[in-house]
Amino acid sequence: MRWLLFLGFFVSLQAQNKQILYGFKEVPQQILLNPGAQIDYKGYIGVPLLSHIHFNAGVTGFSAFDIFADDGRDFNQKIQDVVYDMDSKDFFGFNQQLDLFSAGFRFKSSSEKTFFISFGLYQESDVFFYFPKDYAVLALEGNYNNLNRRFNLGDLSVSAEVSSVFHVGINKKINSKWTVGLRGKIYSSIVQASSTENYGSFTTVEGTSNFLTHRIDLDMKLQTSGLSFATDSTATNQVDVLKSRLLLGGNLGVGIDVGFTHEPSPEWTIDASLQDLGFINYSKDVQNYEVNGYLEYEGIQSVFPPIASDQTAQEYWDEVNDDFEDLFKVDSTTTAYIKWRPLKLNTSVSYNFGKKNNKECNCLDKSDPTFQNRVGAHLFALKRPNHLQWALSAFYYRKLFKGLQLKTTYTVDTYSSKNVGLGMSAALGPVQFYIMADNLLDYQNVAKSQSVSLQLGFNYIFKNNED
Amino acid sequence: MKNRFIFKKILLLIVSVMISFSCVKDTDFDQTDSLVLTPIVEVNLVEIQEPADTFLDDFGVEVLNISDLIVFDVFSSDFVDENLLKAELVYEVTNTLNKAFEFKMEFYDLSKTLQHTISFNIENSPTNKPLVSEHTEVFDTSSLEALKQSSTLDITITLMSSPTGSVLTTASKGMIALKSKGVFYLQLSE
Repeated sequence: MRWLLFLGFFVSLQAQNKQILYGFKEVPQQILLNPGAQIDYKGYIGVPLLSHIHFNAGVTGFSAFDIFADDGRDFNQKIQDVVYDMDSKDFFGFNQQLDLFSAGFRFKSSSEKTFFISFGLYQESDVFFYFPKDYAVLALEGNYNNLNRRFNLGDLSVSAEVSSVFHVGINKKINSKWTVGLRGKIYSSIVQASSTENYGSFTTVEGTSNFLTHRIDLDMKLQTSGLSFATDSTATNQVDVLKSRLLLGGNLGVGIDVGFTHEPSPEWTIDASLQDLGFINYSKDVQNYEVNGYLEYEGIQSVFPPIASDQTAQEYWDEVNDDFEDLFKVDSTTTAYIKWRPLKLNTSVSYNFGKKNNKECNCLDKSDPTFQNRVGAHLFALKRPNHLQWALSAFYYRKLFKGLQLKTTYTVDTYSSKNVGLGMSAALGPVQFYIMADNLLDYQNVAKSQSVSLQLGFNYIFKNNED
Repeated sequence: MKNRFIFKKILLLIVSVMISFSCVKDTDFDQTDSLVLTPIVEVNLVEIQEPADTFLDDFGVEVLNISDLIVFDVFSSDFVDENLLKAELVYEVTNTLNKAFEFKMEFYDLSKTLQHTISFNIENSPTNKPLVSEHTEVFDTSSLEALKQSSTLDITITLMSSPTGSVLTTASKGMIALKSKGVFYLQLSE
């Protein structure tokens, strides 16, 4: 329990946004964020399992410090304060990605036009849930003193998935001003569970013939797929099942990423991309659960035996019991379902400046004609079940040497308004290493942090001949 | 070669700065052990509405009492046993009959042993005006244990004679109505 809370609160990294990686030209994995990004090398091979390790999650509304601060205040009072402070739009998000393999190469077509093909397979986990405010208040207070309050049972919205994604992308520089790209993806869902379409309420109002009337309205649904392997008899079977699903043996789906980079002048760059325009069809190993019904309960009517209806209080009680059992009866189905992937938008505009002046420094035998600095703004948006998640960043990119580049970002988003991130790409010969993290200000006390993000990886780069 | 050296230094610096400055200060993660929820839940219980007829036999003559029995397993469930801290049963009786009554609720356990009795008297309403009386029974300590043992409720309404009361006939006006609810103080902890 403690570790679960620890994981949920402390390792609260910012979900899905990779504002430092986006547009970081020296890192090949940036073309997964924008298939139409600029590519200045002949090819790359990601070091298997190490080319992209990404881990992030976030929580809005509170930090671990609000609850676990060792300040002598009553723990339950702190929990209450946090619950009352949060609302049903607050959420917890967790996302993790691991590249199994990835590579990309430049090809020349017969007409001497070049294009860049990249491909790979990565594994992804995603967990997301909204804070179920009304459930929390009901658990804290009960319905006493809450006459006429409608507890919204639709506050429950949870989804979790582990999947693998195989992708192939093509990138083409059309002319000096335009680069466009397209990536096709095949998703293989390993396990998935979601309960995002819930409706219903629980209300207690003043009654007519008795003190109260309780109204319960339920329309709730849990969809799962791929969970049956967990009940499989042996551990080796389980591993085999997971392996086959990782290699496109799970519930399959398709999707595309599209993107472009436009340079109206050498100084200015505008780029944008849409990721995961696609869906997964869940048809294998599906198990759905549904609860549906409406009940108005006023109490047990005690009708004494002599009366004509012949119904005793016992019969009323039994009837009420049956009504409640019917209401909470769980219908189970195996109907296939389709889910759209969370659609992501990235776009940025940037200004390049500060070319190295070769004439002043003739001692260097190799010149670097490119701009050394870049400043810009970046917008990220992600479609979540109930809302649009967004982040706006300002960034500064600096080429320190040919083999060392830094990028720093300042991000405002739903988690925080003072998120500073720093990324670095270093090349030692053909081996390139990168590491990026954000919310650096919170590292002084991670418990106060609401989100932190980390990406790192190693690649082998085939540079252009002219380098 | 010089560059390589600088890369290493910078890399080392970044990593060591991140490690040395990242820490979890002034927190005590053992506090979850003391998480306690104390919701108060309010639920309707029995309701009764009986006209004069109910208290007459086939010949139109007053009976001594009427009674009804409910067998339930709610109070004896594990959930209630572990989490119920205190309970209140709230009754409100409205009498418009010109007859006094005694209400009696007897709680029996599985072996039919009497665990708890609630009883209260209701005055007659000589002019058939609504006469409202309330009774709240609080269950804590020993009475709460008795409630948790109970699985049968026997409700008896006994007719009482009173100086201003009359004898009920089929022509008697009014009725006797009872509302009741339970207020349950729960304590949910890990």
